[in-house]
Order: sequence, then structure tokens, then C-alpha cells
Amino acid sequence: MKEIACLTGVELLMDYLEGVLPTDVHAALEAHVAGCARCAAFVASYCATPRILREATAATLPDDVEASLKDFVQRLLQKRSKS
Amino acid sequence: MSTNVSTSEPSDEMLAARAAAGDDSAFEAIVERFQARVFRLACRLTTETDAPDVLQETFLQAYRHLSSFRGESQFGTWLYRIATNAALMHRRTSARRPSEPLDAFLPRFDDHGKHTGTPAELQVATRADELLDRQFLADKAREVLARLPDIYRDAFVLKDLEELSTADVASALEIEPAAVRQRVHRARLMLRGYLSDLAGVK
Repeated sequence: MKEIACLTGVELLMDYLEGVLPTDVHAALEAHVAGCARCAAFVASYCATPRILREATAATLPDDVEASLKDFVQRLLQKRSKS
Repeated sequence: MSTNVSTSEPSDEMLAARAAAGDDSAFEAIVERFQARVFRLACRLTTETDAPDVLQETFLQAYRHLSSFRGESQFGTWLYRIATNAALMHRRTSARRPSEPLDAFLPRFDDHGKHTGTPAELQVATRADELLDRQFLADKAREVLARLPDIYRDAFVLKDLEELSTADVASALEIEPAAVRQRVHRARLMLRGYLSDLAGVK
């Protein structure tokens, strides 16, 4: 495959990371990123995005919500044992 | 979504089989084991206000349909599918601000298809969590997830935040794996640009 531009590289990035690109396209993208500081920087930030948002949105279960769920489940189980 | 349990504890699948056979303590153990993760998923797909309802609905539906769990997938994957459906149903029935495209945060290129930003500018999102206050970032992250169009949000949450496989996301959302990749990619591009913007680079 001929050389690719940054724009094409970005379009192919997800499929590249998932390993579903044809071998020649995969190699062409790797060659482009290896020689392009902008794309190397872009790929680093693209790959970091899920982790940063995963950590930032990791809600913890509040005690009152846990207690309500416990009551709800108890009522559910009691209903079955009565029926 | 599988759980790492020590060998002395029953597997998720064993608990599910016992619960389906009428063992209440097994169902309680399932709830205990998965409640935090289901709540976290519900927050990401809906809001913290709506998440408690989604949590209860998920375990209600799981309880009602335990006998239909055949062990063809991991129990956690099966439960996640129920939780996802519960969250999406809840979202459909609740008043919600419409999502808005985040196209302004997509990467930019010149006429030759070359990035317009410098390497330093293009990399800054990598350090968004170091550069920004933790609470500020958490607030903004929740806000931007809600702004994402639903089709991108759902795929991104399941694939990138909950770390399901592409095949499991495709199954949960009833779309093709190629569509999962396309939607997650689009979400990552917009969110990456959003993080860059937050960290100070347009």
C-alpha cells in the first residue's frame, strides 16, 4: 500500500488497534506513525482517552442506594416465598 | 464482565444456577457481587439520579429471567445485557436534554490531510488527568458523556468504560461489530478533542 496521510491514519486507527485491518494497510499505518511526530502524539492521546474517562466516571455505590436495593431484594424474595 | 473470586467462592454461574433453583441466599450473593458495577454502568448510561431505579430494575429482571440463563455466555455478560437494556429503557421514558454533536472537538487537518496541531498540542489530552483538578474533571466527564449522541455514548460506555469485548457490545446493542468500532472511534475522537480543550488546547 502507498504512503498514507495523517487524516487516513486517524480514520483507520480504531480498526488498527482492534487488529482488523488488512496486513498491508496495518503495516502502512505503522510506518506512517513511526515517522510522524504529530500522529504519534495523536495516537497517544487517543489511547489515553478511554482510561482518563473511565477513572473520572467511576461512580461508587452510595450506602443509601445499597440499603434501598437490599430492601427491594428482600421484598422480592419474600413475595416469591409467599406465592 | 467476570468476577475474580477465590477458588473457595462459588463462580457467578454456580450462584446463578442455585438462585434459579430457588436458593435465595445465592441470589443475594449475586446482588452483593454485582451491585456496584451495575450502579456504575447505570450512572454512565443515564444519570446518578436515575441510576438507583435502573439498579433495581436490573435485579428485578435478572430475578424474573434467571431460568433463561443457559450459560452460553458468562453470567456477568448476561447481567450486563439486562442492565444495559434497563438503562436504555429508562432513558427513553425519562425527560432528557437532547444530546448535541461534539463535532467541534474532532481533529483538524490541512489541505494535504496533515494534522494542524503541533505534537505537543496533539498530545496534551494524554495528561488531562494530571493537568486538571480531579473533581472538575469528574464533573466535566459526566457532562460530556451526557452530551454525546446516544449511539456513540452507548458503544463508548460499554466498550471503553466498562471494557466489554467488541463482540459483547455488539450483542448488547444488537449491532454489528464493525458498527461498534465505528461508533467507539467517533466517540473517542470527540472525547479526546474535548479533553484537549479542557486541558487548554483548541
